[in-house]
Amino acid sequence: MEREVLFRIRRFDGEHAYWQDFQFKARKGMTVLEGLYHIKESIDGSLSFRASCRMGVCGSCAVKVNGRPRLACETQIFDIGDTLEIEPLDNMSVLRDLVVDMDGFFRKHEAVKPYLIRGGDNYGNPKELMQTPKELHAYYDFSLCIKCGACYSVCPASATRSDYLGPAAMTAAYRFCADSRDEGKDERLRLVSGSEGVWRCHFNAECSEVCPKNIEPAKAVQKMKLMSAIRIIKSIFR
Amino acid sequence: MEGISGWFSLRGKSVNSIAYSFHRLTGLVLLLYLIIHLSFLTSLRIGEEAYTAFISTTVRPETLPLDSLLFLATFYHAFNGLRVVLNEFGLVYELRKALAYIMALLALAFWVYSTYVMYVFVMG
Repeated sequence: MEREVLFRIRRFDGEHAYWQDFQFKARKGMTVLEGLYHIKESIDGSLSFRASCRMGVCGSCAVKVNGRPRLACETQIFDIGDTLEIEPLDNMSVLRDLVVDMDGFFRKHEAVKPYLIRGGDNYGNPKELMQTPKELHAYYDFSLCIKCGACYSVCPASATRSDYLGPAAMTAAYRFCADSRDEGKDERLRLVSGSEGVWRCHFNAECSEVCPKNIEPAKAVQKMKLMSAIRIIKSIFR
Repeated sequence: MEGISGWFSLRGKSVNSIAYSFHRLTGLVLLLYLIIHLSFLTSLRIGEEAYTAFISTTVRPETLPLDSLLFLATFYHAFNGLRVVLNEFGLVYELRKALAYIMALLALAFWVYSTYVMYVFVMG
């Protein structure tokens, strides 16, 4: 089954932003990403967008489709309709067309030390770190983040504060704080307890709505808030 | 960065964002009211007559719709604020959408009742 569809794409040439319309015949099952590739290969080779795995794993192809961030590779054209308005993600500066500068986003992710911190491990005599299923489930969902930036782009706190860490970075922080093998909880809590961290979140929860992996970043941020509050109260009595 | 427009851009967003935008909007309305309220109270420094003159401009049938809207803003901000507090403590997080609707309905119910009481008071 084929149908005529209209892709209205927000383009940026480095100086000016403008809308450009592309009309073509889409077939059933065709994804937004396949539509973008079709335009690039057959209509306008100058169209720029990011994509890699085409299977919802790499997180490169997140764009706004009719106002909502989605992974272009996982969104079928016919599920949206006959007219698709495609824009780059918000809260990040646009480099060209649908490509945004994610450098700050990844720097924030890096800032929360998203890796296991352990002291005293003997690498000469390595030991397996055992976990119960309960300990695994405490953080497992949050480890599925693909860093697509969809949550960051809808966050109203990220819209007004460039130094705000954002939901993705704090989800990564929670993922490791909740890991029974990790010993860097205090260090990480110190990083996210400031005004640029968990307390800047005012619970819009849109991050959880748009997450393509259903990770619930808003939940992770609220859990980090509770951890942070306990840490602050404890520090008063020390 | 989108800036403050990011608080109010609702296209493609869920009920949580609508609640968030209304919360910000009603917060600004309440801030404006607080400034006006304190200005009126400050007129007491000029004298009782000045204060009475100011107050008499607000307690009359023509200003009833404004008072009613102020109550709507107050109730919405209060009930939605309660939802945010609950959710921020990690409570009933999974029910956040249902809670947004419930709190809006509660605000509407309280608003209708308060408007009725004010109407009876002002109109005698």
